[in-house]
Formats: sequence, C-alpha cells, structure tokens
Amino acid sequence: MSSPPVTLWELYWGFLSIGARSFGGVLPWAHRVIVEERRWVAPADFAEVLALCQFLPGPNVGNVSVVLGRRWFGPMGAVVAFAGLMALPLFWVFGLALLYADFASVPAVKAVVTGVGVAGGGLFIGTAFKLAKPLARKPWGIALAASCFGVIAIGRVSLFAVLPVMLLLGWLAARRGLI
Amino acid sequence: MLQIAFYFALLSLVSVGGIPSVMPEMQRLVVDVQGWMSAAEYTQLFAIAQAAPGPNVLVTALIGWKVAGPAGGLVALGAFCGPAAALAYSIGGYWDRMRDAPWRKVLQRALVPISVGFIVSGGYVLATPQGPGWQSALIAGAGAATLYATRLNPLWILAAGGVLGYLLF
Repeated sequence: MSSPPVTLWELYWGFLSIGARSFGGVLPWAHRVIVEERRWVAPADFAEVLALCQFLPGPNVGNVSVVLGRRWFGPMGAVVAFAGLMALPLFWVFGLALLYADFASVPAVKAVVTGVGVAGGGLFIGTAFKLAKPLARKPWGIALAASCFGVIAIGRVSLFAVLPVMLLLGWLAARRGLI
Repeated sequence: MLQIAFYFALLSLVSVGGIPSVMPEMQRLVVDVQGWMSAAEYTQLFAIAQAAPGPNVLVTALIGWKVAGPAGGLVALGAFCGPAAALAYSIGGYWDRMRDAPWRKVLQRALVPISVGFIVSGGYVLATPQGPGWQSALIAGAGAATLYATRLNPLWILAAGGVLGYLLF
C-alpha cells in the first residue's frame, strides 16, 4: 500500500535524502526512498512516472521530482521536491570543483580526472547499449541510431537540426512497424 | 551569462534521453563556437559532476560557473532544468490519460533508437577530449562493457577510469 507524504517538509526531506546518498547514480536511490523506504507510490506507479520522465526532455529524476511533487502539493510541491533533490549535490559538486581548481595544474591530478571523465563517457555508451536491447532484431532502428551517432558525434552537426529530421524518420518507421 | 541562460534553456527542450544526449551540442557551443574552455576541460568538469553524488545534470552548473562565476552556475542549472520541468509539469496528467493512444506508442518506439544514438554520441564526445586514441578507447570501452555485462556499482568503474587515466595520460 502506498501513502503519499502529508507535509511539504516530509516531501523535502525525502528528496533531500535521495540527493544526499546518490553516489554512482540517482535513480537507484530514488527508487529505494520513494518506493521502498517511504512507500509514497506503488512500484508499478513509479515505473509509469519514470517512463514518462525518460521520454520527456530534461534530467530524468529531476522530472520525477516535479511530476510527483505536483501530484501531491501542486506547484509548491514541484518546487520543493526539486529543490530538495538538488540542494546537497549542488553543494558538493561546487566544493569538489573548488578543490579541483586548486590542483588542476598538477599533471597527475589532471590525468586522473580526465580518466574519470573518459570512463564516464564509457558509462553512457554502456547505458545506451542496454537501452538498445529491444532494437536487436530491428535493422531500421539500428540504422537510425547509427545515423544519429554519425551526424552528431562524427559530423558535429547541431542537435537542433538533427532532432526534427530524426524524429520525422523515426515516426515514419515506427508507424510502419519497422522499429 | 544571458547567452548561456538562453542557450541552455533551448537545449533543455531537446534533451530527449537526458543529459547524455545534449553533451555533444553543449560541447560544440562552449568549446567550438564560444571558446569558453578546451575539450579537455569540458571532459574534466563532466568528470567532477559524475564523481560527485547527485544527478549528472549538475555538470550544467559547473559549466555555468566556469563561464560566469557562482551565480552563472545557478543560472545555467535553472535554465537547463526550467523549461523541461515546465513541460513535465504540464504534461504529466495528460500523458497518463493517453496511455493506450496509438500515437503515444508510435512516438515511444520512435524515440528509442534516437535516444540510443544521441547517448552514444554523448559518450563518444566525452571520451575523446584529445581526439580518438587507444588510451581513451581502452578506458571507455572497458567501462561500457563492464556496465553492460555486470551489476557493479558505476562508482567503481569511474574509480578504475581514474587509475587508468593516471597510468596512461
């Protein structure tokens, strides 16, 4: 059974505790706090909200905070949930950036941080391949993904030009059941 | 600062697939077009946002800060999240009611390969700050394979990337 938060304060603390603990990714912690610890929403409901937020532009879990905050407390809820989610991480990331600024001239530190960034790029690629599993037997889907990569990453064409074209192609292919 | 706010607000609305999708376009703007930082610095800022706890959207705050100071950081984060949040806010209920509409399913299927292509692009751009090379191919490839094949916490993958970066760069 799910029981939504009763006060804005409770909402704020819940999202604060998500942001506070989200080492290595926010989503697992969002699920743990919202569904398992506080039981604000049922698991299936959470999956629905997440699907919407992944589909919409913008940061996924940030969108989850807005949609759920709004559901329970209207505009105030959306703002409070989002602020709770971002408050501590913002503090830490600025702290870490200040610390890094002091050591950025040390070549070894620069090499380590660059390595972390490159590995982070690898995480994106791994995530994309997980998302791509449903495309395994859909050559048109693979071709569309590959052309997106070709024009954006290699061709360096602006996303603003690419997105409308690809959306149109994707829409046509999906309507014919090719994707 | 106004420039970055305006541009990030526009990016907000095309960020299907989240932050990874817009990393190439953001890099194109701040590195290639405006020259606010180098590609290497861009990847380093991203590394800090990844290593710190919290949503990776915080990289927008770091870029804003680098370009226009602490206030620029807050403005950039707000500009990037605001329009998308407004969209999520207004569309939430409607989307639920359209659960079984055919166009919603078509749109969802169409977006899968597009997001995949954009996210791989984001990974590629971040992994090649000095252009392609065997070192970055090794680190990024190993990271991608580990994430794909195991349930290891991504933090360990980032840590291993740091060690390899120390040894290879």
